[in-house]
Amino acid sequence: MIELRGVCKSFGSKRAVDHLDLTVRPGELYAFLGPNGAGKTTTIKMICGLLAPSKGEVLVGGFPAASQDAHRLLGYVPDQPYLYDKLTGREFLKFVVEMYGVGRTAGRDRIDELIDTFEMADFIDELCENYSQGMKQRVVFASALVHDPRVLVVDEPLVGLDPRSARIVKDLFVSRARSGAAVLMSIHLLAIAEELADRIGIVDRGRMLTVGTLGELRERAQHDGSLEELFLKLTGNDLPRTTGPGSRIRSETST
Amino acid sequence: MSIALPKPLDASPPGDDRTARALRWLRWRQFRNMTGVLASDARLRVSMIAFCSVVFWLGLFFLFFGSFQFIAMYVDLANTIIEYLFSMFFLSLLVMLLFSTGIIVYSALFHSRESTYLLTTPASADRIFAHKFGEAIGFSSWGFFLLGSPLMVAYGLTRNAPAGYYLMFVAFLLSFVVIPGSLGAIVAVVVANVFPRRQKMVLAVSILAGLAVTTYVGLQLWRTPGDALTRDWLGSVLNRLAFCQHPLWPSRWMSAGMLAAAKGDWTDAGYYLMILSAHAGLCYLSAAVVARDLYRRGYSRVQGGRSSRRRAGLLFIDSAVHRLYFFFPHPVRLLIIKDLRTFLRDPAQWSQFLIFFGLLAFYFLNIPRLGYGAQSAYWRNLVSFLNLSVTALILSTFTSRFIFPLLSLEGRNFWVLGLLPLHRDQILWAKFVFSASIALVSTEFLVVLSDLMLKMSPLMIALHVGMIAVLCLGLSGISVGLGARLPNLRESDPSKIAAGFGGTFNLLVSLVFIFTVVTALAVPCHLYFVGQEHPETARFILSRSGLRFWLTTAIIASLALSAAATIIPLRVGVKAFQRMEF
Repeated sequence: MIELRGVCKSFGSKRAVDHLDLTVRPGELYAFLGPNGAGKTTTIKMICGLLAPSKGEVLVGGFPAASQDAHRLLGYVPDQPYLYDKLTGREFLKFVVEMYGVGRTAGRDRIDELIDTFEMADFIDELCENYSQGMKQRVVFASALVHDPRVLVVDEPLVGLDPRSARIVKDLFVSRARSGAAVLMSIHLLAIAEELADRIGIVDRGRMLTVGTLGELRERAQHDGSLEELFLKLTGNDLPRTTGPGSRIRSETST
Repeated sequence: MSIALPKPLDASPPGDDRTARALRWLRWRQFRNMTGVLASDARLRVSMIAFCSVVFWLGLFFLFFGSFQFIAMYVDLANTIIEYLFSMFFLSLLVMLLFSTGIIVYSALFHSRESTYLLTTPASADRIFAHKFGEAIGFSSWGFFLLGSPLMVAYGLTRNAPAGYYLMFVAFLLSFVVIPGSLGAIVAVVVANVFPRRQKMVLAVSILAGLAVTTYVGLQLWRTPGDALTRDWLGSVLNRLAFCQHPLWPSRWMSAGMLAAAKGDWTDAGYYLMILSAHAGLCYLSAAVVARDLYRRGYSRVQGGRSSRRRAGLLFIDSAVHRLYFFFPHPVRLLIIKDLRTFLRDPAQWSQFLIFFGLLAFYFLNIPRLGYGAQSAYWRNLVSFLNLSVTALILSTFTSRFIFPLLSLEGRNFWVLGLLPLHRDQILWAKFVFSASIALVSTEFLVVLSDLMLKMSPLMIALHVGMIAVLCLGLSGISVGLGARLPNLRESDPSKIAAGFGGTFNLLVSLVFIFTVVTALAVPCHLYFVGQEHPETARFILSRSGLRFWLTTAIIASLALSAAATIIPLRVGVKAFQRMEF
């Protein structure tokens, strides 16, 4: 459903994505991991057709990522979601239903269903400008799912969500994947990736370091620890510094 | 808590009509909700804006009405002058709309979060363009309507035009604004594709080119031979403005059509309306095709063109600020340095500042060539006060546009400042010092330059230096104080904060302040010098002792007013800022 072949993306002299190959199959939940600045968000923006690759090919459902055909299949939850301040949550969902050409009755039913799923009935008829971060995030998730996308791309999905909403979102990812959708999730919470993902891809400096199930990654890296330890080992930062050089000198001197 | 799988939806590919309807519905719903909120929560604000707009409109209307009556009664070349006047007016608006719509379309298409969102939906690129273009045209041309409608109504009433003339004006207006708007949009999309990292440079070069052309035309008019306002002189002036009558200018079609409509010549008016609307359609179609083919590519290039340039530390500026403001607490100095760095790294701020004050300096330097220095003391006094007023007015637009929004913008990141070990009032004082310093350095230089070029006496130079100093302090106090009292913490765009209620109110208060101080000091000087120059015709004359008395009174009153304008808004601002919850 999502396919990147030899994709490069440069910003001036800086190469953000470097010959990246990535495939997310239908029915698969793919966790896309990497340190800050590794090129995850750039890759996701290319999948959504917002950025054109400098080299290579990005396909969604077999269509070029920037095409309208690809966008019809896609549900996207960005890291900084956008809502219209002067619309209510329900009006926003209605707008999305219209934009994706969902039938009026089916759309209304789907909106009611998602309001119920994300427990938004208390605030959905207020203007979005009055929402908290978590409320906004829930409306954005509902808007990404309201047209029943075959491909779901999510950048940092759990930011701002309370534990109950986070649980709902996690269950939704799994249920979307089991219903045949391709789900690509970029996330820093490695425990979530470990818990949910069918396959994990770790990217660093724009290059794919490794791809596979958690078991395959452990086997390949000859490492039996947690995903966090594996991640740190692969990205070359297995011993993170928690103190600066000055503090270290002070603590050494005092001992 | 298991989630049931949704039933597959029957989602047919959305037709372009349905997308267009959805976007129209979106705009309408936003407008309805916004007016609902304004009507219930901000009646006072809406009433004030409506009141100010009506006063502004009526002021312009009576000005234009009086001017048309004057031209019709006293000048032989009335019809020709009005034809040229309209052509120049619409040509100027054409150029301004080209720039303003181009800039607004650029930021709406390539830097707005709404566009980013819409580009991920199945809406086609030209449909998104159409949606954002309509918004940009509305933003850029409301000023045109506010300026053009009193002009056209005044002309219609002077000529006893038929009712159809007023309807024609609306039709002409709608067609006219689309032409520069579409051309500006084409330029915006092409610039994004060709110069994705050089858009500010392109804008700066375009503004400089526009200014060069305006200066050239201005100088040509200024050098018109003959005695001013004689028939020959007017003929020469009109000859030099003949370029605005070129038959290929849309502004010419607009002015010819409106003049024909005012005379009730519907054949000619209809002919020009058809030419104008046909070209408007063609221009819009061209813009939509360019957007269809280049918008997504341009968006990608602009987003991919972010700067990774390392910024210089500007350490010499840091140490200069610390030395210059040694008497302020260290945190206040650090805040001044922060604002100074932001100012220097934002070309929108310093370029506007440089362009306006640079043009003024250019004009002041040319004063000897214009011959003002050789004029009588009366004229030199008049021109010196006018120069001072213009300097203060430009300063007030600067403080309203850049200083007023500072606190609103700070509010969004207040957790940074709020957690620092300093008092909230120190933040305001730092803004005030920052604003007053920039204002003082630039305006004092300009006022002294103007007075030296006009060969003013040391006493008058000292008076003007003192005047502009108190104006700088007052304008800074008003902008910082009102900025804290009427912040807009939801908005991240400083131009929108400045254009909102608080910014407009700040500008109005600043204008009233400037008018009061300048009038108080200029009137005694004027009455004294007019007595020296035309003692036989002047109605009110001040003797030297009278001048001394009234000038002293005016200086004391201006100082008191300036102190009030500086201290009261700052105190109000400090109180509001200390109560503010972020």
